[in-house]
Amino acid sequence: MLKFTRNKLASVYRKSDDCLSVHGVLEDDIYGMVVDLDLGLPDLEIRAVKGCWSRMENAECYRALPFLQEAVGLRVGEDFTHKLQKGVGRKACRHFADLIIECCDAARDAARLILEKESGTVRPEIGIDDYFGKGEGPAGTGSAEALSVQENKGGAVRVASRGMVIDLHVHSAPASPCSTNPVERLIEEARSVGLDGICLTDHNHRWDPHEIATLRRKHGYLILRGNEITTDQGDVLVIGLEEDIKGVIKLSDLRGKVLKAQGFMIAAHPFRGFLTFGIGYLGLTPKKAGKRPIFQGVDAVEVMNSRVSEKENRFAAQVAEMLGLPVIGGSDAHQPGEVGRFATRFADPIGDERDLIEALKKGRFSPIVFSGP
Amino acid sequence: MADIACFTRNRCTTVETVDEQTTRSTCRVQDTSMEAWVEILVKSPNLEIAEVSGEVRRSSEGARIDVSADLKKVIGARVGPGIRKIIRGLIGDHAFVETLSILLDECCNGVIMSFTRDVLFSAPKDPEGEKDFFSSMVRANPRLLNSCAALSEDSPLMEALKPGKA
Repeated sequence: MLKFTRNKLASVYRKSDDCLSVHGVLEDDIYGMVVDLDLGLPDLEIRAVKGCWSRMENAECYRALPFLQEAVGLRVGEDFTHKLQKGVGRKACRHFADLIIECCDAARDAARLILEKESGTVRPEIGIDDYFGKGEGPAGTGSAEALSVQENKGGAVRVASRGMVIDLHVHSAPASPCSTNPVERLIEEARSVGLDGICLTDHNHRWDPHEIATLRRKHGYLILRGNEITTDQGDVLVIGLEEDIKGVIKLSDLRGKVLKAQGFMIAAHPFRGFLTFGIGYLGLTPKKAGKRPIFQGVDAVEVMNSRVSEKENRFAAQVAEMLGLPVIGGSDAHQPGEVGRFATRFADPIGDERDLIEALKKGRFSPIVFSGP
Repeated sequence: MADIACFTRNRCTTVETVDEQTTRSTCRVQDTSMEAWVEILVKSPNLEIAEVSGEVRRSSEGARIDVSADLKKVIGARVGPGIRKIIRGLIGDHAFVETLSILLDECCNGVIMSFTRDVLFSAPKDPEGEKDFFSSMVRANPRLLNSCAALSEDSPLMEALKPGKA
């Protein structure tokens, strides 16, 4: 017997020379919804959107409908999916966002067919971007000449007698597309809540050491460079790797690179669960979970992360304890007001990434719920 | 003049239980230009992808194309948060990377939704019971707060989470 079924239908017709209309329907065991979209030709910009529910998950789902207008003005192309998920997906409903993406994808293919028909040629190797021009690109991530970890000194470092409390897992905008907190604001917030430092762990983003040195001097504050890298086995916080890793890498390959660079790897939120059911629902035990490949390829485990549930953090701690792996804490801050919710207290002073790696390898640290100095 | 569609697409995802440890999820897409399917077998409790197969049956490239070898790269990955990015990264450079990524992503999402459906079966229908149910859910999974309009801070479902109402 089927446990779940989802059907999505998208049909496109040419409303006028410069407009495509798309009708989309999503029906599954939980949701029923319809959207109608108008997209411009040839720019594929969403000009109008209208949606309605036929079945909802709860009585408040109707509140999503006004926020569908967040889609208007977006243009199908590079970064479109991300923008739609961030706008419509979070403010309205991710399932509506999913259906709109399906509709727009269909509109793009329809536009390609129209163009091919009108030009009388079939050129499947040419993408729609080549026909209609590229959409807006991601934020610039230019990097300058590299400095080694050892050279990355600069800016005052405050060493508290209570040890140093550092948030080892923070994200900034635009380096992390999912973050809304600009790095300057993040630094000021970290200072104001009483943290001794932060480690920037933007997703697959290598911070330019010169840029960090400038920030440290400007703010007189400890800012460390890290990276949250997506592997085939989940996200890993990496300290001390200069290579700019883009996309997804095999955990074993990353391990090889980090060992060579004498860096440090931490399994980030290893049991981040699903939205409406937790880890316990699957009957996962620490013993079974401890066999996951991720734990064979890291030096430590994040067991305090403010974006997962208490159960998931507790479970990560149980697994780490069973495996004898050191544990850290980090806020995983993405939005203003989140930095420092969890952090890691180090016994030794830390002035740069080399000190941080040394302290991590010594194991003289512990995760903490941070409530100020 | 009739508004004849110039393009249509159907995408269907189904999830079924094979045995206590195994879930099968299949996604098929048929549209004006192409037709393809992907199927995954997922093992509990870690939800790792144990088997995967698929085929592009019709496309602008012509006849049937077996894409199973390319899909095998995702074996061992775990269905869960971030799987979309992992899938795209693992499949890499492939003529049908977009098509296959979307199909795989739909399969994985179907598995997650099948569990979500089980949880939602226990949601009460009366307004007060519904508020308790969803506020408890958000309390247990803080990432849910502001994840959609219904679970936004100003939603009546979240009233119980406001200071002084704990």
